[in-house]
Amino acid sequence: MATREQVDAVIVGSGAAGSLMAATLAAAGKKVLILEAGPQRGMSDLVSSQIWSRRLKVPAGTTMTGGRDPLSVGFASGWGTGGSALHHYACWFRLHEEDFEMKSRFGQGVDWPISYADLRPWYDRVQEEVGLSGDAEKEIWRPAGAPYPMPALPVFAQGEVIARGFEKLGLRTAPLPMAINSVPYRGRSACIQDGWCDSGCPIGALANPIATHLTQALSAGAEIIHDSKVSRVLTTPRGDRATGVEYYDAAGERQEIRADVVILAAYVFEIPRILLNSREGGLANGSGMVGRSMMAHTTSNIFGFFEEDTDNFLGRTGGQLVSQDDYAKNLEKGYLGSSSWLIANALKPNDLLGIGNSRVDLFGAPLHEFLQKAARKLATMTFVGEGLPDPDNRVTLTASRDRFGMPMASATHQFPEDSVKCWAAGIERGKQVFAAAGATEIWTGGRNQMHTMGGTVMGRSAGDSVTNGYGQAHEVPNLFIAGSSLFPTAGGVNPTFTLSALARRSADYLVENWSTLG
Amino acid sequence: MDASSTLLTEVLRAQGERRAFLKGAGAGLLAASLSSARISYAGTEAPPPAYRVLTPPQVRTLDALGETLLPGAAAAGISRYVDDQLASAEPLLLLKYVDFPADSTDFYRQSLDALEQHSQATHQQAFHALAMADRIAMVGQIAQQQPEGWAGPPSQLFYFIARNDAVDVCYGTEEGFARLGVPYMAHIAPPRPW
Repeated sequence: MATREQVDAVIVGSGAAGSLMAATLAAAGKKVLILEAGPQRGMSDLVSSQIWSRRLKVPAGTTMTGGRDPLSVGFASGWGTGGSALHHYACWFRLHEEDFEMKSRFGQGVDWPISYADLRPWYDRVQEEVGLSGDAEKEIWRPAGAPYPMPALPVFAQGEVIARGFEKLGLRTAPLPMAINSVPYRGRSACIQDGWCDSGCPIGALANPIATHLTQALSAGAEIIHDSKVSRVLTTPRGDRATGVEYYDAAGERQEIRADVVILAAYVFEIPRILLNSREGGLANGSGMVGRSMMAHTTSNIFGFFEEDTDNFLGRTGGQLVSQDDYAKNLEKGYLGSSSWLIANALKPNDLLGIGNSRVDLFGAPLHEFLQKAARKLATMTFVGEGLPDPDNRVTLTASRDRFGMPMASATHQFPEDSVKCWAAGIERGKQVFAAAGATEIWTGGRNQMHTMGGTVMGRSAGDSVTNGYGQAHEVPNLFIAGSSLFPTAGGVNPTFTLSALARRSADYLVENWSTLG
Repeated sequence: MDASSTLLTEVLRAQGERRAFLKGAGAGLLAASLSSARISYAGTEAPPPAYRVLTPPQVRTLDALGETLLPGAAAAGISRYVDDQLASAEPLLLLKYVDFPADSTDFYRQSLDALEQHSQATHQQAFHALAMADRIAMVGQIAQQQPEGWAGPPSQLFYFIARNDAVDVCYGTEEGFARLGVPYMAHIAPPRPW
């Protein structure tokens, strides 16, 4: 075992949140070390292939997943430089004001320790740094904020035919806000609309961490060590102060790094796993909330065939348009929850979300015939529905251990009934939209889940949450958490913009208050 | 016109070329295209490399299953694909995405053996020797409900995974996209299909 020179901050994970924190702290003159569990990757590794890009996801064997609605580990995870943000779809939304005040307004769920107004300046700052394309005026549901720095991305035939259905029903659509360049932005190229976002964007049009904050962090002096699996946060005997982390290097050797500040920005399953493994009963776990309130979004796709060619190979994986006419929470609907539509996703023939899996019942010659037709005539849109928080949805440690001797995690999850009702209502509306759009055949996929959140939620009280509104552990003031694991509620939108705004706010807080922490 | 505008123009041109391709692409052309996709070692002096994970009976079963799931999958190399991936340090099969809580090689071996045993038990014949109509009926059955006595991973999951493997080799490559008339438009082209 070797002990490296002490650093100011050690950051576990090089994804969107970790890279942003690293860039801010390094620019402030701090000595920053990032430990990334996966291998080193660069833009040249982002091969345009649904088969080859499976390298970007974590190998099996770190987290077992179960319950009625199992959370996805393998598909949504990241593995290597940039974490899951390296292959994310870059649908960047703000949460709405009501998402921060669910308990106060509706008597269910929990409140965040901060309001939308608290977070708004950091949304604005991050969107300027990263570069977002969209049309704020057409997004009539959008909470107050600065207009997007780039114009909206183009809409192709698939988006146009589906928008027709929304319009006929008196519903509205707007260009999907994306962290993808519609025009060259800060030295990065504009998107060429080839639909390979899911395989990683090697031209830098999509704001993955290599294109943005990670490169800035390294330029400012931060260091990154790959193939380094963090197993524990090291602490004082009382566990009230972090002193560094224990990790296993590429050779499998145990290492320690001492740091004034420890930031956990690993994937949503790994943060509770590390905390639970750090100390008997879990570190920063006086509330018993470490690993609890894991959440996800319900999701399904609406599919339809249309008379006209939909050109569904064009655009972005995340989609072309958004509709949030059913976002506002209202108990009179019969359920509590918000939802969005991501409209006209760019499609590839194969892979989990490929054309082939839109009809898993077909095989043999009929599957060939279907694929031939679907490549020209298929249109789709993706439902994103709120999964309400439930403390019984949780990550725990198991008796099984990985190759480093670290206990494996087990995640159990079941959508609350309100979330299932929200999903069911959304799918019925989605079918109505496609019928109004003139689809000649309409079908849907089964209920699934995406966007894992929670597990180390923020809150006002050390009695029912793990961190405060800055991601600072209530019980360990020099331990910070970054990422969607902080979310007390899920909202009905993709989480990366919000987790980035939270990380930006935490990083600024850290810099301003460093003398009280170091 | 900047570089991105030029690229977008190329995308739109590819869109037009795709439409032109489709006008000439009948079913016969597509069938011939898949047939010609056979991974062939003919013309080379070296024999085809041995399979490293799957046994010869398992290869026969998987080829027959692939042909049933998506005609042309055997010729497109489904068994080579699965075997290559299982032999690699980092298998890139779709199985990776479903959080199956056991070893990937065991999943394929046990599933293929279970299919073979089911065929022997119900038809007293190897799966690959069954008439196509019988294979279709059997695949339809395991897709819907796990047969009684099935001695492997869940049959519905095996159907889903093997079907995805077939789609990968038939349509997940640059040649496969071309068969659908979909422009591949790679930023970085894969150095080989898998």
